[in-house]
Amino acid sequence: MTARWGMAVDLDRCTGCGACVTACHAENNIPTVGPEQAARGRAMHWIRVERYFEGEFPDVRVKFRPVMCQQCDAAPCEPVCPTYASHHTAEGLNAQVYNRCIGTRYCANACPYNVRFFDFFNPQWPRPLEVQLNPDVSVREVGVMEKCTFCVQRITAVQIDAKAEKRELKDGDIKTACAQACPAKALVFGDLNDPESEVSRLSREARGAKLLEDLGTLPKVTYLTKQSEA
Amino acid sequence: MERRDFIKLTAVTGTGAALSACGNPEHQLIRFVPDDDLLPGIAEWKPSVCPLCRAGCGLTVRVMDADFQTTRKGQEGVVVIKAAKKLEGQPEHPVSRGALCVRGQAAIQTTYHPDRIRGPLKRRGARGSGDYTEISWDDAIAELVAQLDKLADRKSLAFVTRARRSRRVDLIAEFLERFGARPPIGFEVFGDDVLRRANAISFGREQLPTFDLARAHAVISFGADFLGTWNSPVAHGAAFGAMRQDRPGVRGAFVQVESRMSLTGASADEWVPVKPGTEGVLALGIAHVLVANSLGTGNASALASYAPESVEKITGVPARRIERLARDLGSRRPAVAIAGGPPLAQTNGLFHALAVNTLNTVLGSVEQPGGLFFTPIDSTLRPIAGAKELQNLRAELLLVDDANPVFGAPKGWQVREALAKIPFIASFGSFLDDTNVQTDLILPDHSFLEAWTDSLPESGSLVAVANAAGPVMRPLYNTRAMPEVLIEVAGKLKTPVSLPWKSFEEMLKASFDKLGEGAWDDVAKQGGHWGAQQSSVSSRQSSVGSRQSAVTSHQSPVGSRQSSVPSRQSPATSHDYVEPRFDGDAATYPFHFLPYASPAFDDGSVAHLPWLQELPDPLTSAMWSSWVEINPQTANKLNIRQGDVVEIASTQGSLRAPAFVSPAIAPDVVAMPVGQGHETFTRYASRRGVNPLAILAPVTEPETGALAWAATRVKVTRVGDPDGSLIMFAGEMRENPHEGRLR
Repeated sequence: MTARWGMAVDLDRCTGCGACVTACHAENNIPTVGPEQAARGRAMHWIRVERYFEGEFPDVRVKFRPVMCQQCDAAPCEPVCPTYASHHTAEGLNAQVYNRCIGTRYCANACPYNVRFFDFFNPQWPRPLEVQLNPDVSVREVGVMEKCTFCVQRITAVQIDAKAEKRELKDGDIKTACAQACPAKALVFGDLNDPESEVSRLSREARGAKLLEDLGTLPKVTYLTKQSEA
Repeated sequence: MERRDFIKLTAVTGTGAALSACGNPEHQLIRFVPDDDLLPGIAEWKPSVCPLCRAGCGLTVRVMDADFQTTRKGQEGVVVIKAAKKLEGQPEHPVSRGALCVRGQAAIQTTYHPDRIRGPLKRRGARGSGDYTEISWDDAIAELVAQLDKLADRKSLAFVTRARRSRRVDLIAEFLERFGARPPIGFEVFGDDVLRRANAISFGREQLPTFDLARAHAVISFGADFLGTWNSPVAHGAAFGAMRQDRPGVRGAFVQVESRMSLTGASADEWVPVKPGTEGVLALGIAHVLVANSLGTGNASALASYAPESVEKITGVPARRIERLARDLGSRRPAVAIAGGPPLAQTNGLFHALAVNTLNTVLGSVEQPGGLFFTPIDSTLRPIAGAKELQNLRAELLLVDDANPVFGAPKGWQVREALAKIPFIASFGSFLDDTNVQTDLILPDHSFLEAWTDSLPESGSLVAVANAAGPVMRPLYNTRAMPEVLIEVAGKLKTPVSLPWKSFEEMLKASFDKLGEGAWDDVAKQGGHWGAQQSSVSSRQSSVGSRQSAVTSHQSPVGSRQSSVPSRQSPATSHDYVEPRFDGDAATYPFHFLPYASPAFDDGSVAHLPWLQELPDPLTSAMWSSWVEINPQTANKLNIRQGDVVEIASTQGSLRAPAFVSPAIAPDVVAMPVGQGHETFTRYASRRGVNPLAILAPVTEPETGALAWAATRVKVTRVGDPDGSLIMFAGEMRENPHEGRLR
């Protein structure tokens, strides 16, 4: 059966450490834009950790929430794209074809989760920082919209290997860069079509909820709420 | 010629010919024949060790082919090299357990940093000017040998490095001992000497503790940022996740006690602010309630003066809350208490550490499942001197490796002035930072991915761990490994210093051979040797019934030279609370000043990495910035709004930075992240933001001489409107969408 990739984020495990953010930069060739452009809101982080203060001193609590592309089944970013750069794959990913993108930025306007990032400039990697670039991920040029891909390069690589070795994919064979880096195992990636997979099990938990669920975007990322002491 | 070589050669010449026709001069570069045997597009995974902090996380490095622009015999060209692409946690490693922290992920950028020093340098301009000329390794080593030979008194050689447990530092110590010099000085901004001393007094182990959080049902931490920067954050993170959600029906509870909410405090179920410098009193207050209600075992009379009512007066925490906290802890066993960070950086720091140790004893959590353990460690390492030595540094020749005391030491220690008086300073640094720019000779080290690297973690694992790994790629530049340079220099001296090894690899092999059969093979396989893992802390399927450390050979008694535990009854072992002393009188300087290790930069040593500069801070979302955290009440009183520029002044000086108004800090405390404000530290960190350490008073904890970095008082003044230096991700934090625009 075709896979349907999804993620579960256990907010009770997440410590807000930010390892996922740097791991994503390292895996996906996300450039840094520098302080001047960052001040204009042009910094790119395919995954970010949102922080919410609750209460006032001295009774303060914090909730963290890592937010990446929610890979919606009814994605608002897709129908607005005039060039089909933003489209749905057979495995349910909201893919972005950089070569088709003409930079209308309609998709970023349509996305309620603010997870699409526009390349205002050609990326800069002062030599030899470019040696670190991951050859499995294309480098985006100026005028293109980019976003979290659920590390599609990792998915494909493992699928190709499995096919060559004539074996079935097992749950846990594929890990996105953010999930792999997470010390607390707050991020779990896997196949939602496999009812036995850990991500399916977690997504069914009573603590689970989707971001902005009432918008009807049908996200494939489930957030397991932070439990609290009575 | 083999078919393989033929194809390689035609590929090389072919692309060269095709590209030379293009107009872009970059593409006219010659392609050199690669040194490595490469399979294009195929990734290999090699073990390594993260060098950034003392935790010693095991790595696995993805290595693939990459184009690298270089010069050969004066000819510019491109060569295909085997290059490290990505760092991951080594899944079998007892500390990293397959994960990595935010800084560890970025460690790879130290190798490919555009401002790395590419070969030996000799100073041409004035010290601090950064004006150097390139010299050859022969000349550089000859220069260092000549300077060492010139020393009339060999004791006048000083060596500053980081206070790390590793064979690398041990080699330095061995060299110095045989040379006849003093032991190396270990410098850490956020050292843990106070806690080590307390553990020596309480438990006879002068080392950092390891916490079995995964099996704990309740955790109370006094100031320790154990999920962010302190001790062994990756191991703690893994265990914390397990404590919360690995056990069906059991969710471990977590209380954090501190006056400014750390990244760790943000994950707490309950955050308890206390007056700075009184944390240990609260710990003993809790111990008092536990013992009084037979929820714990301890000497009731020793705790008599810590009844909740008296503790309330000192700490500001209501007596009823103390009662409740104690009963919560007492009813959820196993429970463990953690001490670290600001409380231990007070003048009465040792009291707090001892108080929390007492609480652990009362809770019965010492060396018990779900409690506090000590990792079996190698006790044969040579001693290194504490930061005390840095306070009156006098030397004729100074060597610096991996330490930046000019940035990290308070002004009052006069490190800069001491350096100016030293006739010759050489460094093994890879970057021109605040300290290296003051040196006369730079002998740049390889990156950790290009050389043999090792560490001996003192905590984070229940089993003994010895990390070591060989190079995962060839050196990019004309650099040399510091240990190899030291061995070479030792042999070239007029009266040679004979070290027992010909290379660092040989030294490592000799030490691993002592650990048992197969230990050295493990180095090639997995980047180190460690005992069988306790299943309960290493995997999600936790099971009680642990096997204690299998590797006993680590505790080899032969030639134990570690400083022995003081047997004398130090006055600090008694539980008499001594009030903390602060620099600056409360009338003129009404606020406690708290510089904290930032999640991105830790102590500032990784501020030059662009990924970390552009990482939104987890609590503020600030990037590329310095800021001052202020309580909203205080901000209101002082007419300070988000982003306004404020001046923070201590008795030692003042600095200016934008304000970040935060509800998670006490009204009488202001806090700043450490890491920015380097005078010089590559294009990414030079003169960016401000350094809060610069205005710290040189107050120390009297027993250990450790810097009491939380004992400075300051005054706060608003000096201007936002100057744009507070850069936040997406312009603002999401809960305040109209902030800034409303003004």
